[in-house]
Amino acid sequence: MLALYAVAAYAFLHLPLLVLTLFSFNASRFTVWEGFSLAWYRAMFRDGQLAEALANSLIIGLAATALATGIGTLCAYALWKRRSPLVSGTLYLSLVTPEIVAGISLLAFYQWIFRNFGWQLGMHTVAGAHVAFSIAYVVVVVMARLRMLDPGLVEAAMDLGATEWRAFREVTLPLVAPGVAAAALLAFTVSFDDYVITSLVAGVDSETLPMVIYAMAKRGVNPVVNAVSAMIVVGLGALILLSERLRKA
Amino acid sequence: MKRRLFLMSAAGMAGCTRWGGARLNVFNWSSYVAPDTIPNFEKEYGVRVRYGVYESNEEMLAKVFSGNSGWDVVFPSNYFIGPMRAQGLLAPLRHERLTNLSALDRRFQAPQWDAELRWSVPYMWSGTGIAYNRRLTPPPARWADLWNRRLEGRITMLDDPAEVLGAALKKLGRSVNSTGTGDLRRAAREAIAQKPLLRAYLNAEVRDQLVAGDVVAAQLWGTTAQQAMDQSRDLAFVYPEEGFPLYADCAAILRESRRSDLAHRFLNYLLRPGVSADISRAARTAACTLIPEDLRRNETLYPPPEVLQRGEWWQTPPAAVQRLRDRLWTEIKSV
Amino acid sequence: MTRLRAIFLTPAAVVMGVLFAAPLVVILFYSVMSRGVYGGVELPYTIENWTRLIDPLYLRILARSFVMAGAATLGCLLLGFPLALFISRGGARKNLYLYLVILPFWTSFLVRTYAWMFLLRDTGLINTVLLSLGVLREPIAMLYTPGAVLVGLVYGYLPFMVLPLYATLERIDRNLLEAAADLGARPWQSLLRVMVPLAAPGIRAGALLVFIPCLGAYLTPDLLGGSKTIMAGNLIQNQFTNARDWPFGAAVSLALMAVVMLLLTVWVRREKAPLL
Repeated sequence: MLALYAVAAYAFLHLPLLVLTLFSFNASRFTVWEGFSLAWYRAMFRDGQLAEALANSLIIGLAATALATGIGTLCAYALWKRRSPLVSGTLYLSLVTPEIVAGISLLAFYQWIFRNFGWQLGMHTVAGAHVAFSIAYVVVVVMARLRMLDPGLVEAAMDLGATEWRAFREVTLPLVAPGVAAAALLAFTVSFDDYVITSLVAGVDSETLPMVIYAMAKRGVNPVVNAVSAMIVVGLGALILLSERLRKA
Repeated sequence: MKRRLFLMSAAGMAGCTRWGGARLNVFNWSSYVAPDTIPNFEKEYGVRVRYGVYESNEEMLAKVFSGNSGWDVVFPSNYFIGPMRAQGLLAPLRHERLTNLSALDRRFQAPQWDAELRWSVPYMWSGTGIAYNRRLTPPPARWADLWNRRLEGRITMLDDPAEVLGAALKKLGRSVNSTGTGDLRRAAREAIAQKPLLRAYLNAEVRDQLVAGDVVAAQLWGTTAQQAMDQSRDLAFVYPEEGFPLYADCAAILRESRRSDLAHRFLNYLLRPGVSADISRAARTAACTLIPEDLRRNETLYPPPEVLQRGEWWQTPPAAVQRLRDRLWTEIKSV
Repeated sequence: MTRLRAIFLTPAAVVMGVLFAAPLVVILFYSVMSRGVYGGVELPYTIENWTRLIDPLYLRILARSFVMAGAATLGCLLLGFPLALFISRGGARKNLYLYLVILPFWTSFLVRTYAWMFLLRDTGLINTVLLSLGVLREPIAMLYTPGAVLVGLVYGYLPFMVLPLYATLERIDRNLLEAAADLGARPWQSLLRVMVPLAAPGIRAGALLVFIPCLGAYLTPDLLGGSKTIMAGNLIQNQFTNARDWPFGAAVSLALMAVVMLLLTVWVRREKAPLL
């Protein structure tokens, strides 16, 4: 009986997305099935705004991931070796802060600074925001992996004459690499999907994919959203498969 | 390390103009231009236009308020122009660059909100009324009909503090521009009483739901209602008996804009009767310029004089009244 | 701390300081300033924004957020416990089952919320199917209701409950259940009296991981609730856009943060295994 329940629960989890994907191939705009069609996908590929938003999302995602992973990994190592309640506490707080609060505080902060320098909101402000909220995720994942390591290894390396930096580069980092990779994928996913914070701090030229989807979703029945959604599901799903493979390595 | 530097510089470069060449950033209401309006401008002047859309004046103001948003041209409603000017957000217009100003309808050559057209150029105008499904019998004819219990869950109002309070004020027999505290508080109570009957507060987003039949009556602008009626024969529109507000959305250039010349050219382009007529035809708007007779026959977009005289133009409220309105709106939304 | 560790810690400290802590300080200042009529902040300083929070209207919104978050947590618990149980008994297929739970979670949250809009609309799939089957004569309004928001929240955060529950359930000694059975307990009795208490740490972890994000939820009530179900997150967003009352929005934000920090502190004190 438990198995039956599990089937129902999995259905609940997966059906909405499967249905959405299915209807992205629907010839009709409405929810009556009228035949298989790639029309919405064609419309999606022709949409210049979507293309630009996707490019923005990818650029911001890659930049923010690179920075957050680098900074976060180093931070995780430092915290693993010696606790820092201040840094840990701030990272904890970052994880539980509601996105809307993080977003409006960043907006207020940016406005206040930019007023003095004449700068504008743009890709850099979004990327900065993404780095800020991704670091905590990276630290959590890399820490988990670090805790699986034997701290004696690093000490052994140093006893053999290596500096701590060398020990980190040649002993710790390779051992922790799958965790770092998984953290990077996590950071990318979180950045790519973010709507709330991004929409608040984005500038004229930094419209991201979630912002376009949100506007389309709010505006009503638009089957192109179904096509875009399906592609995102497939794309991110593939990334996650990759992440799982790496984590097990 | 090198990879990280490269990616950082890539992000930095992406922040600068990516396409090269002159660019104009235009921020307009949704569904307010014809499909080829922007492309034709781009072709004629050899520039690229970034065209963003918004659904409400408040949304636009929130983005440009800081004075460094990056937009060049915006389209505030007439009653927003005074406040925006007071905040130093608008750039004075240079009439020598706006050679097509004479194309404006006489009514809009010296409007009450900007008599010398120093800050804005009227673009499109309309009024607020009730869009409804013909299935409803009897059909709604007054604002009070939107408080009808029969319609519970199938009505929407605009997501706009001035409009919601305005409708309630008209229901109470007052002017939409009332400044009396007592009037406004009573209007807020009416709005709160109506809230349980509402499906949601929606602007142009309600169009699809009207067409689909989910919503049977909506407080809506004439333009948006006409767009909906084009898609469904079941829909109709009425300007309520108690009276209704009139508005004109105007083109304005932001003071922060560094492309003043190009922005003026764009405004001038919009003033061309041909362009204006195209937009009217495609987006179903009432243009502020003179346009051909055949386009003026639509009663939703160009109400006949006996209807028009029930209309009141929106006026900018004094600061204290604006504060009260904003607070009342928060209360209405929070209930 | 060695110099290397100090260097390693610096970038993170700088980023978090500038892009997380400093903004919070800015809105702390904003919360005690006055609002500009059309937006922004101005002097004089005032505590009016904080005293306004005590208004029953806004306390009600906070209460509603609590209730909604609590309901979502309960929903996740009721739906998630049997699922976690099933996975923990999955034997060789455990990882596959776990993966099937995680997979939808990693695809876009926005897309998953939109999927429910697609299903729940009056012209959405559920209504269309029920109408065509003759079960309904008129579509039922499911979107823009508190129920829709609840479904959206449970759907969004279910994996957060399932994973910690699974981790705890997996470690429970099977022999204990057998012993209970030997002593004459019926399956449901051993479930309630033995398993649930043993799973308590997992339940607490899952509850926290669901409750806190739901408390500050913004996107779900915005898309699925219309303007009818306004939670704390929506109130805050409103103040920074439509209502143009930044100082009040800042005060509400900090109040919400205070509640969240309180909950977190209580939890960290009780649990022993820190994340960081």
